[in-house]
Amino acid sequence: MSFWKKFNDMDRRWVYLMVAVTVIIPFLIPMKFPVSVSPEARNFFNAVDSLPDSSVVMLVFDYYPSTIAECEPMAIAGAYHLFKKHCKIITLSNIPYGGPSMAESVTRRIAAELGKEYGKDFVNLGYKYGYVSVLKGMGVSIESIFPTDNRGTPLSELPLMNTVKNYEQVKFVFEIADNATADYWVSIVNAGYGVPMGVGCTAVMAPKFYAFYGAGQIVGLLGGMKGAAEYEILLEKPGTAFRGMDIQSLVHFLIIGLVIMGNIGYFVTKRGKRKTL
Amino acid sequence: MTVAFFLNEKTPYVGDTSNVLLDWLIIIGGFTLLLGVVSILRVSAQAIQRKKEGWPFKIATIASVLVMAIPSLLPVSWSPLFGRFEGSIYDWVFVNLQAPMMATMFATLAFYIASAAFRAFRARTAEATLLLLTATIVMFWRVPIGEAFLNLFPGDLPYFINKFIMNGANLAVQRGIIIGAALGAAALSLRIILGIERTYMGRG
Repeated sequence: MSFWKKFNDMDRRWVYLMVAVTVIIPFLIPMKFPVSVSPEARNFFNAVDSLPDSSVVMLVFDYYPSTIAECEPMAIAGAYHLFKKHCKIITLSNIPYGGPSMAESVTRRIAAELGKEYGKDFVNLGYKYGYVSVLKGMGVSIESIFPTDNRGTPLSELPLMNTVKNYEQVKFVFEIADNATADYWVSIVNAGYGVPMGVGCTAVMAPKFYAFYGAGQIVGLLGGMKGAAEYEILLEKPGTAFRGMDIQSLVHFLIIGLVIMGNIGYFVTKRGKRKTL
Repeated sequence: MTVAFFLNEKTPYVGDTSNVLLDWLIIIGGFTLLLGVVSILRVSAQAIQRKKEGWPFKIATIASVLVMAIPSLLPVSWSPLFGRFEGSIYDWVFVNLQAPMMATMFATLAFYIASAAFRAFRARTAEATLLLLTATIVMFWRVPIGEAFLNLFPGDLPYFINKFIMNGANLAVQRGIIIGAALGAAALSLRIILGIERTYMGRG
């Protein structure tokens, strides 16, 4: 049996082993490949950076724990940037699976680092069923949809929420999503109420959001871990996404290498078969 | 609600009616979540009772639902282990078990994708070759080392990919899909409202 035939018939466990090794090596030896910034990420960053101090921003945690590796670095970078600019952050989630817990852990960690106070500088509204109703209802009154925050404190007892009644006071929506809820933020909140927004999403979702970006419905786009790494670079605070780019680079190269080799093997064995006929 | 979507909430009658309906939608939605919990407990309990195939897994399902639900519903004033916040049982299980397990499940995709790409991505036809080339170029472009590799070629390839593939061909196709899906959804909604489409009720 020729080398190419053997290569193409390789047991899939060898592929798994190669992926595992490629993932582990950059963990042990960080390579710190330079990350270039796309116009979509730069526009997103500039939109947040140009917000006036003390602006009210909604930081939305619409992602499940499964995509934490891609989405959480965006949330961390976003929260850090907003707090640094002294913006007031309102977090909420439209997914029932852990969104409020992740919002709680990210914002409280960064708030403690930058000396921000809960209730005054940030509020976590938690989760409420039915994203269409929630997004539409908040246009009239946030309090009617979320009478209390995530911990059960009435909104009237939180100083920040005394000044924020509906989208009229919200200057920007920083949406991080791994599912279709981001579409509804665009079609209901941006299109219906004119609130500017940027979307951070998983890499597989990003191609779809170029349509919204091209139409000007979102001011910027962070696609997957690369998008998060770009934001970290702009923020001059490299974090887990920047480190993750080493791994992603090598795994992409491995997959491309396997595909090229697989195709060479395919054509070589095909030609060999023709000759024998 | 459809009318209210296109009008301002301050429009007399329309806005108020829409808001009442939205409240009802949230309340009904809350009950559907409860129904889901009751349903999974009932189905799992029946499977255990009848010793159906894989019934031990149903015990794990019931135990997981109860371990997450009961302590999170009990008041924090009884014990700091209750509720849903830092230090509670719910939070500990979420942070240390649920989140890592879900992330692990998603991460295993990398292994399957590598294996599937190696086996399935073959330049068998002109269309497959075009797809293969585009995918390879975009995969290079999405990572720093790949971008550095593309910069070795003459012309600004990363800029070309961003401008003409992602913000060009991709954008046009995505718009077509989004508009097509929206028109399809609107047509189906109309068919349901007018009583033409009844298959959702089990009728033809």
